[in-house]
Amino acid sequence: MRIGLRGRFIAFVSAIVIAFGVVLTALAVRVQNDLLRHELDERGKLLIAVVATHVTDSLALLDVRQLRQLINETREQENVLDAVVFDEDGRVLTDGTIKNPLRHLLIDDAARQHVAVSDALLVEFSGDVMTVTKGVRLGGRLIGGVRLRYSRAGLAKDQAVLARKTALVGIVFGVLGVLAAALLTEAVTRPLKEVIDATRAISEGKQAPHLQVRTADEVGELAAAFNEMTRRLRETTVSRDYVDRVLETMGECLVVTRRNGTITLVNNAVCGLAGASEEELVGRHCGELFRAPKGYASLLHALNPEGSVHGLETELLSSTGEEFPVMVSIAEMDESPGRSGRYVIVAADISERLRTERQKEEFITMIHHEVRTPLTAVRGAIGLLDGGVAGDLGERGRELVANALRNSKRMERLVNDILVSRKLDFGHMTFHLEEMELMPLVDQAIEATASYGDQHEVRFDLDETAPGARIEVDPDRFIQVLTNVLSNAVRFSSAGDVVKVRVNRHDGYLRVAVADRGPGIPEKFRDQVFEPFARADEADWRNKSGTGLGMSISKAIIEELGGAISFDTEVGGGTTFRVDIPESDKLRESHVD
Amino acid sequence: MTRPGRIAAALFSSALIVVIACGGRADERAEPSSPAPFEATGIITFGSVSLNPASEHEVFRPFVDHVASRLREVGIGRGRVVVVDSISKMVEELNEGRIDVYIDSPFPVGFVWKRTEIDLLLRRWKRGSETYRSVVFVRADSGVNSVADLAGKMIAFGEPFSTSGFLMPKAALASTGLMLDNYEDAAASIPPDRVGYVFSNDAENTMFWVLKGKVDAGAVNEDYYQALAGSRVSELKIILTTEAVPRNLVCVRRSLDPRVTDALKDLLLGMDEDEEGQGVLKGFEETARFDPWPGGPERQLAGIMDLIQYVEEDVGQ
Repeated sequence: MRIGLRGRFIAFVSAIVIAFGVVLTALAVRVQNDLLRHELDERGKLLIAVVATHVTDSLALLDVRQLRQLINETREQENVLDAVVFDEDGRVLTDGTIKNPLRHLLIDDAARQHVAVSDALLVEFSGDVMTVTKGVRLGGRLIGGVRLRYSRAGLAKDQAVLARKTALVGIVFGVLGVLAAALLTEAVTRPLKEVIDATRAISEGKQAPHLQVRTADEVGELAAAFNEMTRRLRETTVSRDYVDRVLETMGECLVVTRRNGTITLVNNAVCGLAGASEEELVGRHCGELFRAPKGYASLLHALNPEGSVHGLETELLSSTGEEFPVMVSIAEMDESPGRSGRYVIVAADISERLRTERQKEEFITMIHHEVRTPLTAVRGAIGLLDGGVAGDLGERGRELVANALRNSKRMERLVNDILVSRKLDFGHMTFHLEEMELMPLVDQAIEATASYGDQHEVRFDLDETAPGARIEVDPDRFIQVLTNVLSNAVRFSSAGDVVKVRVNRHDGYLRVAVADRGPGIPEKFRDQVFEPFARADEADWRNKSGTGLGMSISKAIIEELGGAISFDTEVGGGTTFRVDIPESDKLRESHVD
Repeated sequence: MTRPGRIAAALFSSALIVVIACGGRADERAEPSSPAPFEATGIITFGSVSLNPASEHEVFRPFVDHVASRLREVGIGRGRVVVVDSISKMVEELNEGRIDVYIDSPFPVGFVWKRTEIDLLLRRWKRGSETYRSVVFVRADSGVNSVADLAGKMIAFGEPFSTSGFLMPKAALASTGLMLDNYEDAAASIPPDRVGYVFSNDAENTMFWVLKGKVDAGAVNEDYYQALAGSRVSELKIILTTEAVPRNLVCVRRSLDPRVTDALKDLLLGMDEDEEGQGVLKGFEETARFDPWPGGPERQLAGIMDLIQYVEEDVGQ
């Protein structure tokens, strides 16, 4: 049986109290016994002195009848064994009885000699018997004496009574001692119990109470240390309730499993999506909740060596047979020593996103088939009209056809940009990479945009080149990027301006910088330059913007080619776009060599 | 008048009569002339002389109750004990018919017998003996060799009412021609032609007084002498032993119904034959039995009556 601190403390203090009580009681009994013995002896001495006084007259008159009565009364006194009165010769006159068997017998010589010369008591001890002898004198003459045998065995009875009383007192003190021990223990262990209760409250996720520091001793220090610990704990941790609330309100599904995949915790989002209660899900294997991602035997087989995975698409399997597409991230959760690790699986329902993307896909398909194809036919017909297939249209007719042709081209560019943009978004764009020199591509782009510059009376100035520099790109898409950047510079330049083009190396990249002297990009719009359909609010910008897709397409293409696009701008000071593209390593290495 | 004499006179004047009835009214008495069968409503009254009526009653009570309970056939329903403080009062009570049965030593009985109508019924073996005697003794070295040598000496008797301790030895001494005078002080000077006596009031006192020389002689019941003398018996010498007299006598009022008298006699004679009766007798001063007077009561009493003349005055007190 386990005895707690409280029990041990009570037992310890009680043992001390009881031991103290036993020793004290023993000492008290001994002292009381001595006192009793002394008192008994004194009582015996006093008694014989009284008897001696009372028998004096009867001795003088030799009234044995009266002496017999007095001694008889004396014999009835407590602890008196027998008593005799003797004459001056030491012969017994009476022993207090009618038969008086001691009559005429002589008392012992020592007693006779003592009473002959002394008035003092002669006290003799033999075992538990005290014999006291006293001579009786009248007018200085010895007329006899009294001899009394007094039992100290009667002491045993008194001692027994005394022992019982003392034992009773001892028991009372023992009980009081145990009670005192219990109270003392309560006083000592109560703070400890408060600490235990508070610790248990923490372990159960409850708020720990603030302990009162009642004393300045070790227990008080313990309470103070506990309060400090809980204070720091509150600062560094969140309560389980708080965590539970977060888990229950978060939209994503959260599943905690053991290393073997057994589910130990799910939140409401999981239950809602899986159509099962927490009780039904906990204990099942996560493989029953998540389909194995493509290329993996199970969800947990997709973990990387670090024990985590991010952005993994799979399906969550509901109890009704439905499958919900989810994006899963898994992280290993460290546990305290001695406990096995766990996995935290966070799954986001991506059904809506996929549906949206599908709708966009359908929209693009619709644009491609229902807009671009008819538009191509329209532009071809207008082109034929503009080429005079239908004869002379007259001045007014030619103007209308030219206008229609211009707008149809514009619409065609817009539709093409949209299609390209969507292809880039969905990764459907096909790149035909080739290793080639950069400068010819730059020249082609300038040449392709030169006519557009001429229309705006803007010319290009290639004042720095990188001869022999090679890159690995899809030349058409790369030229598309450069053309977009160059035409953009033309669009925001004033008539007569020169757009400078520089090609150089920068941090391992080949950089093509196109600088105009236009109005610069408004500060509020700078973050949106590469966003699709981004157009500044300013009137100049709205008039000069294209489809709003050019820069976002350019950024997507150049990033697919491993490069980057950026700009420097100054309102009123012009803008410089920089296209960085990795230089071909093989070529660069040979160049270095 | 001596001091004991004055005390006795005072006691006589008070004439204390203590009547302790064992139930019933004091005036209820057995009618001597009541025809048979007797109704068990009568009372038989026992009388005794003592200066300590309470203890005397305690001695008589069980015996009287036992006797009364066995006399129902003669109309006795209850018993009663009357304790008087003098022999004279006893005579009076018997003459008045207020006491039916009187039990006492031979000398008081003789005194009463001379003065009222009583019949000697039975002898009582008090303390186990049917008779007793007294001895007069002196120290062996006293020089007293006979009672005649007691002239001018002091003798110690026991109690004034005691037959063996006083009346019988005094009568015996007086019958030899000695003239005895009572003194209070044992050391008093005695004329050479007289014998002085004091009451020691206790046989043991008498023995020690003689042994210690406080008196010249002493008289005690012969039965106690040896025990009292003990190892010092050789220091003593007996100079007179009295005639044996009955230990105790039972008398009945002559006017008592003869049927009651006869029934009482038969009852007492057979009392020692059953266990209950023996128990009662033992409690009644260790009485061994009751028996008839050998040779008839008058013959036995004749010797006592010869002596009683010497102590008639003492008995009457």
